[in-house]
Amino acid sequence: MERVLTHLALILAAVICAAPFFYVIAASLKDQGSLFHYPPVWVQIPPYTGNYERLLFDSGFPRWMLNTLFVASTVTGLKLVLDSMAGYALAKLEFTGKRVIFVLMLTLLMVPFAALLIPLWSIAHNLHITNTYLALILPPLANPLGVFLMRQFILGLPKDLENAARLEGVSEFGIYWRIILPLVKPGLVVLAVIIFTDQFMSFIWPLVATTRDDLLVLTVGVAGLRAKGGVNFGLWSAAAVMSLVPIAVFFFALQRQFLARSMAGALKQ
Amino acid sequence: MSTNLSLATSINTAPQAAGTIAASSRHRLSPEEHRRLARQRRLRRELTGWAFLVPMFVFFVVFLLAPVILVFWWSTQEGSLTTGTEFVGLDNFRRLPRQIDAPIAIRNTLRFTLMSIPVTLIIALGVAMLLARVGRGGSVYRFLVYFPALVPGVVAGLIWIFLTSVDFGLFNTALRSVGVDPVVWLGPKSALQVLAALDVWRSVGFWAIFFLAAIIGLPRELYQAAELDGANGWQRFHRLTLPLLRRVILFAVVVATIFGLQVFDTALILTEGGPGTATLTVVYRIWTYIFGSTDKVGYGAAMSVALLVAILILTVIQLRLLRGQRGED
Amino acid sequence: MSVSLPHPDGAVDAFAIELLGVTKRYGDFVALQGIDLDIAPGEFVVLLGPSGCGKSTLLKIIAGLEDASEGEVYINGQLANYLRPKERDVAMVFQNYALYPHMTVETNIGFPLAMRRHTKAAVAERVREVAALVGLTDHLRKYPDQLSGGQRQRVALGRAIIREPVAFLMDEPLSNLDALLRVQMRSELLKLHKRVGRTTIYVTHDQIEAMTMADRIVVLRDGVMQQVGTPREVYSRPANTFTAIFVGSPPMNLIPGRLLTADGGQRFQGPISVDLAALGPMAGVGEEITLGVRPENVELSGSGDAATIPGRVELIESVGADTYLSIAVAEGTTVMVRVSADTSVQEGDCLHLRFPPQRLLLFDPAGNRVTLPGEPA
Repeated sequence: MERVLTHLALILAAVICAAPFFYVIAASLKDQGSLFHYPPVWVQIPPYTGNYERLLFDSGFPRWMLNTLFVASTVTGLKLVLDSMAGYALAKLEFTGKRVIFVLMLTLLMVPFAALLIPLWSIAHNLHITNTYLALILPPLANPLGVFLMRQFILGLPKDLENAARLEGVSEFGIYWRIILPLVKPGLVVLAVIIFTDQFMSFIWPLVATTRDDLLVLTVGVAGLRAKGGVNFGLWSAAAVMSLVPIAVFFFALQRQFLARSMAGALKQ
Repeated sequence: MSTNLSLATSINTAPQAAGTIAASSRHRLSPEEHRRLARQRRLRRELTGWAFLVPMFVFFVVFLLAPVILVFWWSTQEGSLTTGTEFVGLDNFRRLPRQIDAPIAIRNTLRFTLMSIPVTLIIALGVAMLLARVGRGGSVYRFLVYFPALVPGVVAGLIWIFLTSVDFGLFNTALRSVGVDPVVWLGPKSALQVLAALDVWRSVGFWAIFFLAAIIGLPRELYQAAELDGANGWQRFHRLTLPLLRRVILFAVVVATIFGLQVFDTALILTEGGPGTATLTVVYRIWTYIFGSTDKVGYGAAMSVALLVAILILTVIQLRLLRGQRGED
Repeated sequence: MSVSLPHPDGAVDAFAIELLGVTKRYGDFVALQGIDLDIAPGEFVVLLGPSGCGKSTLLKIIAGLEDASEGEVYINGQLANYLRPKERDVAMVFQNYALYPHMTVETNIGFPLAMRRHTKAAVAERVREVAALVGLTDHLRKYPDQLSGGQRQRVALGRAIIREPVAFLMDEPLSNLDALLRVQMRSELLKLHKRVGRTTIYVTHDQIEAMTMADRIVVLRDGVMQQVGTPREVYSRPANTFTAIFVGSPPMNLIPGRLLTADGGQRFQGPISVDLAALGPMAGVGEEITLGVRPENVELSGSGDAATIPGRVELIESVGADTYLSIAVAEGTTVMVRVSADTSVQEGDCLHLRFPPQRLLLFDPAGNRVTLPGEPA
């Protein structure tokens, strides 16, 4: 009996969370007539593809998607290297200032872009990178979350493993590359997923940093649909659906691994 | 084996027991010599450590540390980002309460946070308990519940504009179908609440999974012992789960608050800060100071400083809490 | 100072490894204090001591994985303090084996040679030889998590010996194995040492391992060397009470008392009284001393006479081939005696003990052994 109640409650929660999406999917396939029809038309048959056509061929959407995927992948790739190196240094190497830097990074960990828009824009402007891909790629590299995550994973590796390698004369970089990295692969996967998702959804900085049409990322471009085109539920629905396709596919495929690992890894701290 | 062992065969006899040093030709080194030789080794070690840290650290300094420091400087300026500024000391802060909409933005943001976070976390905790009960079979639930968290705020905003459309949105259609009058969801009195509801819808899944991982980590024996002692479900929750999860819940409260204070994209898309200033938030105001009234950059910076300080305080509280708790565990 | 050490086949100094006043401090805590030690080539030296006595630290200092706070380390005649671990030409077997989990047994064993850029063929050849030597030929393709504890230990061994370094450093290699395996591996290690014949420094807290394997034992306690000597020496002429108790199981009997004069010589007077006339005249009459005698050296006498000490059997412990009797000789004083397993003694029996003077040891109040007259220094 308790089982049934539990399931009912979960079904309710799932429906509340998922229903809007189905509604939107249906709406994306409706034309203006069906959308603004009363009594409401639940599903239009035959489905109307005009919204998608308009989205894919007549707006900047493909470009926005490409930009986002490009930026997200580049940031992810770079951060995996940078953060794992820094995490290794903080976890296993000794040098002056290590404590100070660690505390500094920890303190600024939660500081968001939103509060730093003004000076960040000024810095980007002075570096002449506004309205370039660099403006989208470089600032996110500053976030220290990945460093802490990597540090946590690397701390778990036994010290004798490096000692054994040092005895054989493996260079410090060799130890990092051949011994440490292969053994923290799960951590790298978690980090990659976190960073990619975060970059995919990033809005406020790209909004400020790039204003040229061909540099707009997905979130900014879609926001522009709202600002410029007036009310167009059909187009907006199509945009919503298309935005979510990559993430939905990616996520559903990795679902079990992603959820278990990312939360477990985060909680280890 | 190989010829390399030819030496070994000649040293097989055990040497004479000699505990003390017989006329050793090795000598001791003075402390200065040690220091000199150690310097090279020390240098190499320092360099290695820094070499690994520096690439990331450079970006950290340029794009995080420097802006944090600079925002304070900017808050003492008056002017615009592009045409130059002049120093005005703390005037911006003094005049802030009288600046258009600044107090409203702050009030809205705080009300929003207070509305959305407790609701989000309580529901999330409940959902997490349910998911824990269901275990493996709940992967579909987990996916569906978590999915809204993956939606960019902008897209969520678009979806909800549609949902809350007075004549054609899902909400009012549902209401009408049970005979209730349609509601103007995004009216001046209710827009902020709807914004909060949007945030709850988006965030519940994330925190539910977070709490789920924590719950899974709890020792099962405690619950079995409690059941044997006759505790029912509510008692187990109240006296076992809550205290055990205290640290996790506090962490969630602080982190959720930090995120809540930064609400912007949904406000921008859903209502563009309106109607009027009903959903004007702090970050929204800051943003308009950059691209809107272009000579008020100092005010924007002042508000940024306020936001920054608030978040830093929250961070410190959280670190203190974590460290304190760890000592108790 | 980054020149590699000469190959052992070249000119060799009298000592393979020398430690001069090696001290290690962690803040206020002194892990090692003034360690002076010479190790001859081919010697099997065991660093013996309880947990935390600094023996592993000393090993890591020799290997170059830790730095000494003071003192010098010479390897093959060259100052090694500022040489990198690789340049010291030593190999190490770690307590937890430190096998690379993501590499096969073959790659693990061949790692040292691969890092020194030997050709793939040469590495494969040597790995095969070494694998045969340690009995792992059939397991080369496996990964460490597919091996048993004993097999993993042998991989660690193989990785160490493949290179033929100046010395092997072993950090409690057998402590993670179960008892039976430990005995087996002990003799295998010894056999290996006899075959390969390299200088070996072996760290353990197990005095049986030390006694059976060592050419010389270095007893350490709280970072201070207590004694250096052959197993025989350390066993029958321990330098202090700590060594006396630590080496040998069950431990030596120690009884506190005083040295007094009596007619015809001196005697030990404590809870029991023992005539020491046969030992000759000693200094320090009237002072406190501790009497020491090993369980196997206490004799049982059928009948009591002036020279025997009566006692009552409190406890009988049988360990298979031997039996140990705990005998109460006075209020609060128990002496342990070894007898053969087929004894008919029972609890509560009264027995007479004889303490043969030549088997007795005396320790001063500080715990150091007193040299008896007529004994070489």
